[in-house]
Amino acid sequence: MESEDHNLIEQLRTTEKRDQAFYTLVNQYKERLYWHIRKIVISHEDTDDVLQNTFIKAWKGLENFREESSLFTWLFRIATNESLTFMTSAKKRNFVALNEAGNFLEKKLLTDPYFEGDQLQLKLQQAILQLPDKQRIVFNMRYFDELKYEDMAEILDTSVGALKASYHHAAKKIEDFFKNQV
Amino acid sequence: MENSGFTELSDIKKENPFRVPGHYFDDFTARLQYRIESESTSAAPQEKNSVIRLLKPILGIAASFALVFLLVYWPVKFINNSSLVDNNSEGTTSQHELINYVEGVDENSFYALFSEPTVKTEITEDDVVSYMNNNLSDYEIYSGYENNN
Repeated sequence: MESEDHNLIEQLRTTEKRDQAFYTLVNQYKERLYWHIRKIVISHEDTDDVLQNTFIKAWKGLENFREESSLFTWLFRIATNESLTFMTSAKKRNFVALNEAGNFLEKKLLTDPYFEGDQLQLKLQQAILQLPDKQRIVFNMRYFDELKYEDMAEILDTSVGALKASYHHAAKKIEDFFKNQV
Repeated sequence: MENSGFTELSDIKKENPFRVPGHYFDDFTARLQYRIESESTSAAPQEKNSVIRLLKPILGIAASFALVFLLVYWPVKFINNSSLVDNNSEGTTSQHELINYVEGVDENSFYALFSEPTVKTEITEDDVVSYMNNNLSDYEIYSGYENNN
């Protein structure tokens, strides 16, 4: 994987091969990035916008990419930042108060024609949507994507300890949510 | 209650409950490529037109001034013209009066004005002597006499 990344990075730095290498990169990461963004912004249309913006930002920032981080980490970091920026402006556009962000996203979830989960999965998503944005991202990355804390720390630019604490807080809140529903 | 048996997260299956429209991932790269190309082509003319974009506000202000000029200058000019016409009509009236006056004069007396001989006044030697006595000194008279001789 690392050598594949290295070859791709080399091609991305060569002017003649840059275009082709970039679309190889897009094909390689589009699905993983899509699902990462989708769990944050919920609606398919919004996810499509954010995913396109993510790759456009990556395209424009290719020259700034340093091999200190992997392509995966770099792209996930851009996608996360783009998603959070999108969420902030969407809440402002819709005059959503801080304590109503969960309800705002829940409405999107309930009207999403591309949500096909059962009742229990719907409840879980509703519980997750009650979490603050950053805690929600940590929970999704760990619980659904099963990412290593080390990778998450690099993507989210925080410490492993802080991430572990954040995940356990999130899991506790979700369990409490379910208990209160009973 | 359907959730009565829930105690831990592990009780819920980790399947992804979200779906995407058909062929979404197949079409995505082509759509992205189209967007990147259209953004790069639309960015180029913007740079070329940057001078026009910079001049736009100035042109707008100039157009506003032109409009104000037209709205103010033309009415003012129109009003002035009409007052000039009034003045001219007065001038025309006085010209008419003069013409009427001239026309009213008898033709013979009109030409007589030009043919009338000018009044000649005879200057006698005594007048010259008294003028010289009054206005010239003896020295000036003497030096004039010497120069003549």
